[in-house]
Amino acid sequence: MTYFFKNVYINDKFSLLASSEKEPIVKKYTDKFVDSYYLEEKSIELAEGEYQNITITGLLNKNKLTQKDISLLVNSDLQNQILASSLSASKYSVPMLGIYSACASFVEGLIIASNFISNKSQNIVVTVSGHNLVSEKQFRFPIEYGAVRKMVNSFTATGSVSTLVSNKKSNIKIESATIGNVITTDHKDANDMGSCMAPAAAEVINRHLIETNRESNYYDVILTGDLGVYGTEIMKKYYENISNKKLKNVVDAGSIFYKEDTIYAGASGPACLPLILFDYILKQNKYKKILVCATGALHSSVSCNLGEAMPGVAHVISLEVL
Amino acid sequence: MKNEDYDKLVKDVIKEESHIKNFFIAFFSGGFLGLFGEVLSEWFIKMFSVSVNDSYLYVSIVMVVVASVLTGLGFFDKILSLFKCGFIVPSTGFANSLTSAALDVREEGFIKGIGANIFKLAGSIILYGIVFGIIFGFIRGIIL
Repeated sequence: MTYFFKNVYINDKFSLLASSEKEPIVKKYTDKFVDSYYLEEKSIELAEGEYQNITITGLLNKNKLTQKDISLLVNSDLQNQILASSLSASKYSVPMLGIYSACASFVEGLIIASNFISNKSQNIVVTVSGHNLVSEKQFRFPIEYGAVRKMVNSFTATGSVSTLVSNKKSNIKIESATIGNVITTDHKDANDMGSCMAPAAAEVINRHLIETNRESNYYDVILTGDLGVYGTEIMKKYYENISNKKLKNVVDAGSIFYKEDTIYAGASGPACLPLILFDYILKQNKYKKILVCATGALHSSVSCNLGEAMPGVAHVISLEVL
Repeated sequence: MKNEDYDKLVKDVIKEESHIKNFFIAFFSGGFLGLFGEVLSEWFIKMFSVSVNDSYLYVSIVMVVVASVLTGLGFFDKILSLFKCGFIVPSTGFANSLTSAALDVREEGFIKGIGANIFKLAGSIILYGIVFGIIFGFIRGIIL
């Protein structure tokens, strides 16, 4: 089912890029840039919580709001039990909903916020963060372990983005959203997350276009999350197979995130998509209708060890630049 | 789309990586490390007049210590990504797996952090090394 929203706007954002490794293209454009995996905290997990704090506080200050003006904080990250989100939320006296859809969390957060705002006018902050070292430790090998990486591997983006969503009119309108199904194929290789998420992305884009009665060229650009170089290719072919139509205007945030082209499949992580959306796509001022499709691989290290296929999910949200 | 069709689609897009280049890199880097060990062992024998068997022991100690220190300083994963399995298979890789696992959890305490996690990767090598050592020891005892 596709949800349509009448008066929901993204008022502002505060973005933080926390690593210049592999030269991210958004480096010059983010609101804040620090080149530190630790931020003077004793561990990387705590540092990721601090990233969220920086963006939430930054967003409140930028808009001259206090904690009382915020009715809800929706946040997410990739740590076990979304620890970074809980750590950062504990610093504010704001009600918090912690969510998890891996790298699709940002759009999931926007959908939740939009629904709350449709019912009652309020200010909601949606925050996501990603930390390269935390993800390496969580999902792959120890950080300093010299495992041979495959070409399909991705390199998690480090940073955090907070967005302020409300029904106060601004230049970015949230028009509609479609929540995706969890799709599991036989795919089991945890190194290759693109192939796990591609079917979910193609299915939800297809369903969104059918339910809204639109063609893909209705949108100036379809921005996918972090499918990577190979995943985007697979997604396009999968879409062609299920709908007999071609998707032409697809840009994948993960594939374009790093300037250095030796970065295997590209970037991943919850922060990758919002960083590219706000600090690259929207700054170009040439796209009016944007379909944002965030994709997430919902595996854990346990499910991989059990030999289970990897579940993938994707949610789409349609933005209009006024 | 059926699962089999999807597997075919994935295989069409993602070509199998060639292992030949990695194979040659590992062959030469591993060989170089072996040569270095041999030179070091000769040096130990000459300088400290130790026995041949003892000198091999000292060589392993040197390699493990150097690999661990470099891991701690943060370069060894980069060296490994250049030299591939030539440096991962020998004791340098073993030292790297221990040190890297311990480094990850150093803030979680000596018991629940380092103690519980240091053998996360190397544990399988140690366990099955011992198990198969016993099995093959028995077989050798019976046959010979």
